[in-house]
Amino acid sequence: MKRSYSILAASFVAGLLIAAGPLFSRGPKSEFDVRGFAQLPLLEGGRIKPMDSFARNSLLLIRAQQTLPVDKHRITATQWLMDSMFRPEAADTYKAFVIDDPDVLGVLGLERGKERRFAYWQLEAKRDEIRGQAERAHMVDSNRRSRFQSSVANLDSRLELYERIKNSIMVSGTDDPVGEFESFTKLVPSALKAMHTPAQATAADKKAMKSLTEMLDRYRFLASIAAFKPLPPRAGEKAEDWTNIGEGVMSPAGGGDPHPGLSAYTRMAQAYKKSDPAAFNDALHAFKLWLARERPEAFSSARSEEVFNRAQPFVSGMTLYVMALLAVFIWWAARRSEAQSVSMGLLGAAVLVHTLGLGARIILQGRPPVTNLYSSAVFVGWVAALLGLFAERFHKKGFAAAGGALVGFCSLLVAHHLSSSGDTMEMMRAVLDSNFWLATHVITITIGYGGTFLAGALAIAWIVRLHLVKKHDAETSKALVGLTYGIIAFSLFFSFVGTVLGGIWADQSWGRFWGWDPKENGALLIVLWNAAILHARWIGVIRERGIMVMAVLGSVVTSLSWFGVNMLGVGLHSYGFMDKAFWWLVAFASAHFLIVGLALLPPRFWSADKN
Amino acid sequence: MRPNTPWQKLVDALTSMKLTLACLGLMMALTVICTLAQVPLGTHAAVDRTIRTFLVWWQPEGSSLNIPVFPGGGLIGALLFINLALGQFMKLEWSRRKIGLWIAHLGLAFLFLGEFSTAFFQVESHMPIEIGQTRDYTEDYRQMELAVVEKTDAQHDSATAIPESMLKGSSEISHPSLPFKLRVKHYYENAALSMRSPSDPPSEATAGVGADLVVHPEPPVSGEDQQNTIAALVSASALDGRDLGSLWLSNALGAPQGFIIEGRDFALSLRPRRYYLPFSLTLKEFHHDKYAGTDIPKNFSSLVHLSEPGRGEDRDALISMNNPLRYGGKAFYQASFGKNDTLSVFQVIQNPGWLIPYLSCILVSLGMLIHFGMKLAGALGGSK
Repeated sequence: MKRSYSILAASFVAGLLIAAGPLFSRGPKSEFDVRGFAQLPLLEGGRIKPMDSFARNSLLLIRAQQTLPVDKHRITATQWLMDSMFRPEAADTYKAFVIDDPDVLGVLGLERGKERRFAYWQLEAKRDEIRGQAERAHMVDSNRRSRFQSSVANLDSRLELYERIKNSIMVSGTDDPVGEFESFTKLVPSALKAMHTPAQATAADKKAMKSLTEMLDRYRFLASIAAFKPLPPRAGEKAEDWTNIGEGVMSPAGGGDPHPGLSAYTRMAQAYKKSDPAAFNDALHAFKLWLARERPEAFSSARSEEVFNRAQPFVSGMTLYVMALLAVFIWWAARRSEAQSVSMGLLGAAVLVHTLGLGARIILQGRPPVTNLYSSAVFVGWVAALLGLFAERFHKKGFAAAGGALVGFCSLLVAHHLSSSGDTMEMMRAVLDSNFWLATHVITITIGYGGTFLAGALAIAWIVRLHLVKKHDAETSKALVGLTYGIIAFSLFFSFVGTVLGGIWADQSWGRFWGWDPKENGALLIVLWNAAILHARWIGVIRERGIMVMAVLGSVVTSLSWFGVNMLGVGLHSYGFMDKAFWWLVAFASAHFLIVGLALLPPRFWSADKN
Repeated sequence: MRPNTPWQKLVDALTSMKLTLACLGLMMALTVICTLAQVPLGTHAAVDRTIRTFLVWWQPEGSSLNIPVFPGGGLIGALLFINLALGQFMKLEWSRRKIGLWIAHLGLAFLFLGEFSTAFFQVESHMPIEIGQTRDYTEDYRQMELAVVEKTDAQHDSATAIPESMLKGSSEISHPSLPFKLRVKHYYENAALSMRSPSDPPSEATAGVGADLVVHPEPPVSGEDQQNTIAALVSASALDGRDLGSLWLSNALGAPQGFIIEGRDFALSLRPRRYYLPFSLTLKEFHHDKYAGTDIPKNFSSLVHLSEPGRGEDRDALISMNNPLRYGGKAFYQASFGKNDTLSVFQVIQNPGWLIPYLSCILVSLGMLIHFGMKLAGALGGSK
């Protein structure tokens, strides 16, 4: 007994160490302080985030991955961002743009089949053509666009994002950003003189005004196109008044001293361009000192978020769930109790890492855990895994643990793919901006999803067992059915309460309790299905096998109302994740129907003999 | 023990749990149908045709036949309600063990009542209001009315509203306050209006802007963002039978059109149905907050002044997202905005049963908590 506890504790600690690994990694090999740069705060999409998050989200949008292979090694998103902003001539050659659509390749005059990744320079010649086609596509309602129209509009928006990034700190391709900035600030007084009192202006003043006008045009362009605002408000300014470089340069034109961030960013740009790490790091550290003094909250929240991004708790969680699942399989196959302890230790570590990740998101975002589709996936997995760990207590045969680990892994995988649509901590639109309802309705309904999936996973385990196990074990079978039944009751409670709370929220914000809109209908389907299982069992229409079959189908119902409904809204033909997700959803449902088919085979096909 | 009378058989069938299961299954199927139907029809029309009806009708393309193909929400809901009410009282035992089930099912019964109350009694309308404006009526864009306004007295307009349903028939419309009769010659639920070119046949309208228009009937639309252009050709005749002319009226034609009879000046227009309120709202301020540096809306809010002299009400109220104003049996919600943030639109709901779902939610949650809690406690006790 004591030995099994120490194995459990050891595997728990080992699991946590595995998860902590990324935190202690040394980071990219570079003389430049890439990590320091990654932690700089900026304002984009309505919230303050680190350079790192902006880089990752942008690269995800452009390339659907958070890293980029360059010359046989991988660069991080921040390195890609730095290259794009400061050394565009290099970044233009990175194969960052994935184009799958054959018709888009046709428009570009590129051969299909050979290569699907392209660099910006390869697309530049056809840039106007892409823009023109995208403008046409935009005239068509997004639900009615053809595949070509969707993908060309998508390519155009990715190219535009890249072009805006390139022109965020300096006009792309500027040779001497520091020199330009300094001469601009120096020229302002004499140019002002030439403008206000033309009679007294000297020839030099007039010349100053002319070159100032030229520079002003460039900075105006920069102010209008920049992808983010890296200059925090200074003392005495309003907290949300962040500015971009162009705006910052032009603002002291009426007098006053320039923002310290301006010289920091231009110096970093110049040093990076000229491959001078020492100068880059000097400018960066001076600016960080200023930030820590003047804007400590923005600075520290951006730094924490960078650490969170690096820790990737949900990726580690996925690894741990798989390891726990494998340990359960080893336990079942080898019937070794050590494997049981290892699996419990690993599952505990996985749930803890998952919990810490959720907690970190709550703190960083200042919101309840579920705010969008991505975070709902993270939360569903957490509920199922935690519930599985708890249910394992009733029946220590590993089924609940395996079910929890399986749902935990799958939903984190789904979340991972959902994250490619951009910032996962995006701001909430006005009607959703209510922490109270997010914390009650959204959480309860998502708990209902998690429970239904766990019941489905347990039922799958029961059905697979029916076909694998040689000897029928009525007690295990009965216990498993009881467990599933209990979890269905749990899910019914949460999905019902969640659905009705949703109705009450709708009543509070739109004036109708129930409007039969697709999302509400989806929630109702889960409630009806779970209620049907309980009532069918109550009158004996179904028994053990019937409960299990219906529980498996419960997962299908839940996945349809969770994702299928969103697809109705955005249209089945929209580009990107949802398009691919549609086929995944079909595959998920088909697999479940196959399992139901297995369960419905007459007893003579089962390997467990019924004596 | 079991008298085999037809009555008993009916009661048995109505209280049977198999009926419960069948209804749950049908309800699921209907929910799926309703959801899918929203893609082409829009939410409102889909709900009206599947849920807020006793039978779902299907009309084959190009046929005038209407075939009932599926039980509607009203029928399934009523069956479930009867089944629940009867089954609960006749079959479920009264015992402490079942108290949770009793409470939960009672709550469920309330939920059904609430939904039926919504279906039959809820009135939905809108109030668009510009900053500085005062309004004492709301409008229902889904129903039209023919308004006849007498403008003889410059100080006071007197209006007579004729509901849409009366326009669809072809009988003569008369009203004691009007010195003329109206007859609707054409009524199109949706139409395209265009300027008449010399090659078009002459307009049927003899007066007003309609004389210069060509009106083509179009199939009605029901999508969320689509609105029908309703057009009606109305001819007026004096009580002595003298023809006063024919007018094309439409919600797409802004200015009222009219005629003078016996020195009295009348203006006709087709407008959204109005509900007059015993109080008035004045929009004082409208705010549209965005997240810093973006166009993502953060909050909308309207500061209104509420006034009902008869009840001594004279105060300000703030309506914002998730915070409606409830007054006089109606709730005003921030629904939309426009005209460069100077126009605010409220959705106005009157539903006497709005509190029922709240009660129901509490009862069902409590009931399930008690029932499942007792079972869980039993299981936990058993596992030790």
